[in-house]
Amino acid sequence: MTVQTMSQTVTAAAEKPALSIINYSLSYKTANGMVSALKNIDLTIPKGKTVGLVGESGSGKSSMAWSVMRYLPPNAVETGGAIRLAGEELLDYTPYQMLDIRGSRMSMVFQDPSTSLNPTIRLGEQIAEVLMRHRGLTKAQAWVEAEAALARTGITRPKEMLKRFPHEASGGEKQRVVIATAFACEPELIIFDEPTTALDILTARQILDLFNQLRDETNVSALYISHDLGLVSRVVDEVSVLHKGVIVERGLVGDVFQKPSAPYTKQLIGAVPNPDRWIGVDAPAVPQTLVKLDGIGVHYGAPSKIQKMFWPDDADKIGFWGAKDVNFEVRKGELLGVVGESGSGKSTIAKVLAGLQDFQGKLEFDGKTVGSRRAIDRAYRRRVQIVFQHPDASLNPRQKIGTIIARPLKLYGVVPREKIKARIAELLEMVRLPAEYADRYPHQLSGGEKQRVAIARAFAAEPELVICDEVTAALDVSVQAAVAELLVKLQKDTGAACVFITHDLNLIRQLAHRIAVMHHGKLVDFFDRPDARSADRDPYTKALLDAVPVHTPAEA
Amino acid sequence: MTRAYLIRRLLAVFLVLAIVTFAVFAITTMLPGNAAIMILGEYATPDAVAALEKQLHLDQPWYTQYLTWVAGILHGDLGTSLRLSLPVTQVVGEAFANSAMLALTALVVVTITAIPLGALAAIKRGTAMDLALGLFSYLGTCLPEFVTATLLLVFFAAPNHGLFPAGGFVAPWENLAGFGAHVVLPAATLGLVLMAHIARQVRSEMSEVLSSDYIRAARLKGLTERRVIRRHALPNSLAPAVAVISLDIGYLLGGIIVVEEIFAWPGLGRLLIYALENRDLPVIQAVTLLLAAVYALSNLLSDIVIALLDPRVRYA
Repeated sequence: MTVQTMSQTVTAAAEKPALSIINYSLSYKTANGMVSALKNIDLTIPKGKTVGLVGESGSGKSSMAWSVMRYLPPNAVETGGAIRLAGEELLDYTPYQMLDIRGSRMSMVFQDPSTSLNPTIRLGEQIAEVLMRHRGLTKAQAWVEAEAALARTGITRPKEMLKRFPHEASGGEKQRVVIATAFACEPELIIFDEPTTALDILTARQILDLFNQLRDETNVSALYISHDLGLVSRVVDEVSVLHKGVIVERGLVGDVFQKPSAPYTKQLIGAVPNPDRWIGVDAPAVPQTLVKLDGIGVHYGAPSKIQKMFWPDDADKIGFWGAKDVNFEVRKGELLGVVGESGSGKSTIAKVLAGLQDFQGKLEFDGKTVGSRRAIDRAYRRRVQIVFQHPDASLNPRQKIGTIIARPLKLYGVVPREKIKARIAELLEMVRLPAEYADRYPHQLSGGEKQRVAIARAFAAEPELVICDEVTAALDVSVQAAVAELLVKLQKDTGAACVFITHDLNLIRQLAHRIAVMHHGKLVDFFDRPDARSADRDPYTKALLDAVPVHTPAEA
Repeated sequence: MTRAYLIRRLLAVFLVLAIVTFAVFAITTMLPGNAAIMILGEYATPDAVAALEKQLHLDQPWYTQYLTWVAGILHGDLGTSLRLSLPVTQVVGEAFANSAMLALTALVVVTITAIPLGALAAIKRGTAMDLALGLFSYLGTCLPEFVTATLLLVFFAAPNHGLFPAGGFVAPWENLAGFGAHVVLPAATLGLVLMAHIARQVRSEMSEVLSSDYIRAARLKGLTERRVIRRHALPNSLAPAVAVISLDIGYLLGGIIVVEEIFAWPGLGRLLIYALENRDLPVIQAVTLLLAAVYALSNLLSDIVIALLDPRVRYA
């Protein structure tokens, strides 16, 4: 199909490309001198085409977007090259001239719709203001036009949506508003900066479909920026792979996928989780129950005494159930995957297991019943450890790595005091970090290294159960693969069980023995890994599995 | 904002006022020493003391005195001033009206100058303008109001070139221009101190808002800088300023005592000082209670305004 569309554009080749970037370089002035962000970039987007720009964090892909939009920070220094929109040199335009181009001739869709919309302005005004600014419509005309723009994005009651504030809309609805705004003035070029990364799997799938549909309807040209090569392959014709500010590989998306030539591209493709490649530990030979959740429920924002006194009828409507009647068990030595979208209750369950959240129902840990959070004792807290999503938030920035890892060692008296230092070195080695890191502070480490420290801290207490709450979600693909392998190795060495919470269905199918699926606070499905595709799966599980892009080089 | 929240907050205001009435009563009445003797002096005849005790209900047990006093408040009767021989409601009411005019003038002037100054400092962050505004507002906070007041008097009310009267009060309904002339210096004294609080709060919040994703998104939509600032950034920067203004009302109530004394402004502050010097118990009680009520209500009001500014705020 890609080849076919390619040949169609040959006829239109006489036309100027929508965007051409020629030998463009960009640096940033910092306290440590000039840091190069982009080096000799060449990139062309023919009219009506979508080109993907793939790279990990720090690759310079966002800098590229800011350069095109002419929205660079004051310390940016452009060291040469050209950026042309339909043949016009953007570098020659004054900031004032760019005001008329931004939003009308080129626009942008951002990563996270919940932060890119103004929280105190109604969604309608946020679309309409672009139309009033660039097309000179009156307020009334602009609102009518905004409604039509929103309707094109597939929102069922656009008129109602226009009157809402951002916090009254779901993530998918908000992203549709952002997309409607970007398309509103029929621009020549739209830059999509990771438009689905902040969304849930099912929503992301719908947004991708919407993108494809709108592109076909409007014939817009687009630059699609993403860290996810597999996802990009669904929407773009051509792809460029960016690594440390240099385009290391470019070509038709199918070619790059099947026959990657640059070593970096090969590494990137290799790191994408492949659900058919099992990397987990062997399942325990004799299943023994370690923890049993029995009717666990968590009611957030439960009604206050005054509310119960004055409006007893409303008691059920107040607050919401983060988890309701959840039952399952974790076996000794296994890796149990818990998947679900945001708000499904998976993190609530993690907090209950870690003793951080009041709950109803009861926990059974190693045969002992725990009826409430208050009943959780020191021994339980030692035997159950948790690793959080963001190591930046879970490691104290004022403490050295050694101090951080020594905390559980001292708290639980795991080793005698005089051996703590040696044990810290051992633990660092276990997570494949040099022992000298004990003297460093968290900010001196990379994201992946920080997460290794958090994992080392959890294993320092020699736990029997480690809860991993989205531990790889904030990491780049290649780092994510390494952290997942590390966890498996630690499980092998220590025999600890692991509850691995994630929204990444491909990753979990590489690691977990059994998988629990949560939806709206309820456990909707629970199955052994090989049965993921069996016919009696819950419809929600099937929908989730169908929504994730499965992209193995062999299969493509 | 739910009904339950409003009811809870109003109940809290009443609870605070109930505690304040008790504390005020306890401090002024139950302390050792006979109030009647304190008022009449130690050479008073026993007959006179007994008569005054009867007039003040001091011969009753303390809880009866307290309940009589509270019942009086609820009926709008705060007793009679011992020195002025006028109903306390009248004395305090007039003083309160005068103070409110001064405080409101100060608040309005501060609000309409400090918010734009804070916003300007945030927009020009890191420039000489930002530095100058920062220094100016630091100075305002550092100087106590009696210093500011004295400086203002020296520069603007010195006898040989007096631009403004050095003190006194003219009611606005009698002579608006006269009121304006008299209110300038005391309001400026109060305002200079508050300006820094509010401007700095707006500056820090506005800086944060200006670096947010939605401001970047608004700019990338090609909106004019004017609209980005006025429609997108400024309204979202005001909530903390409102909270600070309501806390500053607490300061105003205290600052006003000094400022009114310096500028001879016949308000609550001067009345309170007069009543304390003359041991006019009913007046002291009434003024203290009134100040507490104003403070509690202004805090409630600011929470409501914050909820109106930000649709996400839903107190439950």
